[in-house]
Amino acid sequence: MADSLTLSPPKKLDAGSVKIADVSKTFRVEGRTVHALDSVSLSIEAGEFISIVGPSGCGKSTLLRFLAGLDGPDSGRIIVDGEAIDRPSLRRGIVFQDHRLLPWFSVEKNIGLSLHSVSGSEVEKRERVQYLIDLVGLTGFEKALPHELSGGMSQRAAIARGLAPRPPLLLLDEPLGALDSLTRSHLQDELLAIWEREKCTVVMVTHDVEEAIYLSDRVVVMEPRPGRISQIFNIRNARPRYRDDPEFVTTRREITELLGSQKKKNH
Amino acid sequence: MTASSNRVSQAGLIWRALVLPAALIIIWAVLDAFSLLNSNILVSPTKVLVTAYQGFADGSIPGATAATLLRALTGWTIGASVGLVVGVLIGLSGIARGLFDPSISSLRQIALFAWIPLFSAWFGNGEIMKVTLISLGAFFPMALGAQAGCQNVPAPFREVGRALELSRFATLTKIILPAAVPAILTGLELSLNIAWLGTFGAEYLIGTGYINGMGDGLGAYLAAAREYARMDQVLLGVLFLALIGVALDRLVIGLSRRLIPWRTA
Repeated sequence: MADSLTLSPPKKLDAGSVKIADVSKTFRVEGRTVHALDSVSLSIEAGEFISIVGPSGCGKSTLLRFLAGLDGPDSGRIIVDGEAIDRPSLRRGIVFQDHRLLPWFSVEKNIGLSLHSVSGSEVEKRERVQYLIDLVGLTGFEKALPHELSGGMSQRAAIARGLAPRPPLLLLDEPLGALDSLTRSHLQDELLAIWEREKCTVVMVTHDVEEAIYLSDRVVVMEPRPGRISQIFNIRNARPRYRDDPEFVTTRREITELLGSQKKKNH
Repeated sequence: MTASSNRVSQAGLIWRALVLPAALIIIWAVLDAFSLLNSNILVSPTKVLVTAYQGFADGSIPGATAATLLRALTGWTIGASVGLVVGVLIGLSGIARGLFDPSISSLRQIALFAWIPLFSAWFGNGEIMKVTLISLGAFFPMALGAQAGCQNVPAPFREVGRALELSRFATLTKIILPAAVPAILTGLELSLNIAWLGTFGAEYLIGTGYINGMGDGLGAYLAAAREYARMDQVLLGVLFLALIGVALDRLVIGLSRRLIPWRTA
């Protein structure tokens, strides 16, 4: 069974907890110092679905890259399951906005590549890849090359690649940002189903307030110059959620107004 | 739909490409029909056809063509292989780049045929010297293409390799080299082109002006034709060089399009 394929330390039920403590980062852009992140702190429990929203320049993507281990902060610490992050790991899967499938590999090879450095037999890996292809609804497209896929299909393949090594923590950088609204809402439901099945922690960066409320346990609103957390919203509505539910609409208005007031303040 | 309309337009393009050569041949034939050609400058088309027939009958044309082709492909294979290895090394390693890149960039500035005096002193005027010259010509574009390909792998693809914890070797074989394939193929096409031109030059310039046998190739055939003022043979030789050069070029370009379908889509 594909479920037998796991990363070397057996996955604990509470795996995927994150502690971001006092993280700061500055960039030099054209001779000027930009405070991308200014002492950001956030704790995420194992199994939570967290969304980060905010205008461009608020540091949300930078924060996600730190969680992935692709870049590091100037100061502060990021701890996942008790270990400080110092480089990328298969225990933290990442899905980029521009799907980043390798154009020379088929769908199944692209997904299989994330199992390349995982121990396990070829048969187990093949089963796991096929299980994920079925899970994201790409059955029949195993041999297709990325340029033969639509945007939505490419993004599904990218999500499958992120999920393949069973990461306790899944990082999504505007994974549905480039899709049309119909494909988008369909993939949101699939994302929820996957999250419920895989029981991983999800941190998603998005521009879309409605998407954040629809999916998340908590919505973290950030603001720019310097990049920091301005407010965290707990979304208590039971799933499946309805976008016209009064409570949903109220929360959406609150977040949108908060983002709007930031805009006024910064101009 | 798109595929078939593409095919139609491709056939149309081939016909269009043939218009100019056909017009030239017609003008040539008309001039000849009115006896307006000075045979010291331009012989009649029928004379060229007769010479071609004779050349095929006695085996001199196919023999010379085969010799030139073999020489070009040998030199290309050697030069492009060494170029590929060196180019990939320079593209991957900063140390190798520092060691080799300045020297290679300088040597590249020397015209290929300027090496002839040096090489003939070292290797004589035989086969080794010619193949060395052709290989050297083929080496540079391949090395440059491979270096550029390996150095310019898009950062997002490299990040995928890091995020998936690929080993250095897996990163090389699964990300860097595939990403470099288009640039490598461009280098391969260019190096074949240089090898083909270089082969003719080597045969023509290093030859003695006498045909010592079919093994001397089309270059020597042309040099001898010039020596004996055989305009018919000159025209025939030039025609064959062009035809085979174009055929080689198309073949390699066709093969590379097949190898990188994501580029042409």
